[in-house]
Amino acid sequence: MKKINFDKVFSFILVSLLGLFIMKVLYSVAGEEAARFTADHYISYGVDETGAINIITAILFDYRAFDTLGEATVIFTAASVVALLLPRHEASMLKTEFTPVVQQSIAFILPFLWIISIFLISYGHLSPGGGFSGGVIISAMSILIIFTYGYRYMTRRFNVKKLSLIEDIGALAFLTIGLAGIIAGGTFLANSQVGIYPGTPGELLSGGLMPLSNFAVAAKVGTGLSVIFLSLARED
Amino acid sequence: MIEIILMLLILLLVVSAAIALFSKKLLNSIITLSIFSALLVIILIIFQAPDLALAEAVIAAGITTSFFIITINKTEGVN
Repeated sequence: MKKINFDKVFSFILVSLLGLFIMKVLYSVAGEEAARFTADHYISYGVDETGAINIITAILFDYRAFDTLGEATVIFTAASVVALLLPRHEASMLKTEFTPVVQQSIAFILPFLWIISIFLISYGHLSPGGGFSGGVIISAMSILIIFTYGYRYMTRRFNVKKLSLIEDIGALAFLTIGLAGIIAGGTFLANSQVGIYPGTPGELLSGGLMPLSNFAVAAKVGTGLSVIFLSLARED
Repeated sequence: MIEIILMLLILLLVVSAAIALFSKKLLNSIITLSIFSALLVIILIIFQAPDLALAEAVIAAGITTSFFIITINKTEGVN
């Protein structure tokens, strides 16, 4: 006869109780008037106030731009620490060797990935996407290059120093866009609330400073994740 | 109809999460985790959140999987 493990039964009961508790709390919060007030405001007045059709990007880069700065800072810190901690040996490629079929098809795919990332970044305030997703696709391109053609091929064109330079330029550009809000007479990273012209909603050049901050965040996130992966892929 | 598909997807989500949690090999866990995120992308599209679905597809299926694989490749001999 098999003995019942009481620890596992106890933890199962505990996890079930926790799940029930969280479900109850979420259901009761969803009905509250105070919790829905800001969401209703964003949905009703978001397009008029910011000039961006995609309300999610309007929240990420206009109302709550400071949160985006925090996210970008997390990736910046992670990239710096990984590049600092890992050993400095410039060394060999990854072990896997692919056939020419894989290399040719990856070479065929890469330009389309570049186009879709630029599309996501520049149309971030009009359609789903934005600087963060576009930047992650750029770093996925560099991961594909490293996996397929090897570490050497990548570092011959973009070494860690160059990528870090682009990352720093992106971070500084985002902070400078934030300072524009103070210069216009508002708070840090304020956009259309301080009178920066939002433009006609639906056009490519609209949403105040939102396209610029999209490009800054994309440069930062894309090169930051690429630096992390380049540092990890280094072999000794 | 969409209700049945949604329930099926959520059930598969739980199953794939359990497999990722309890499988002995780490590589199997990573592949199951990327299946988990692919299922989550479909569920988010059904809930009409394309922004989140895009971020989930790119980050979880692309970046996280390759980061985990390269980390396991690095620490293979340590155990």
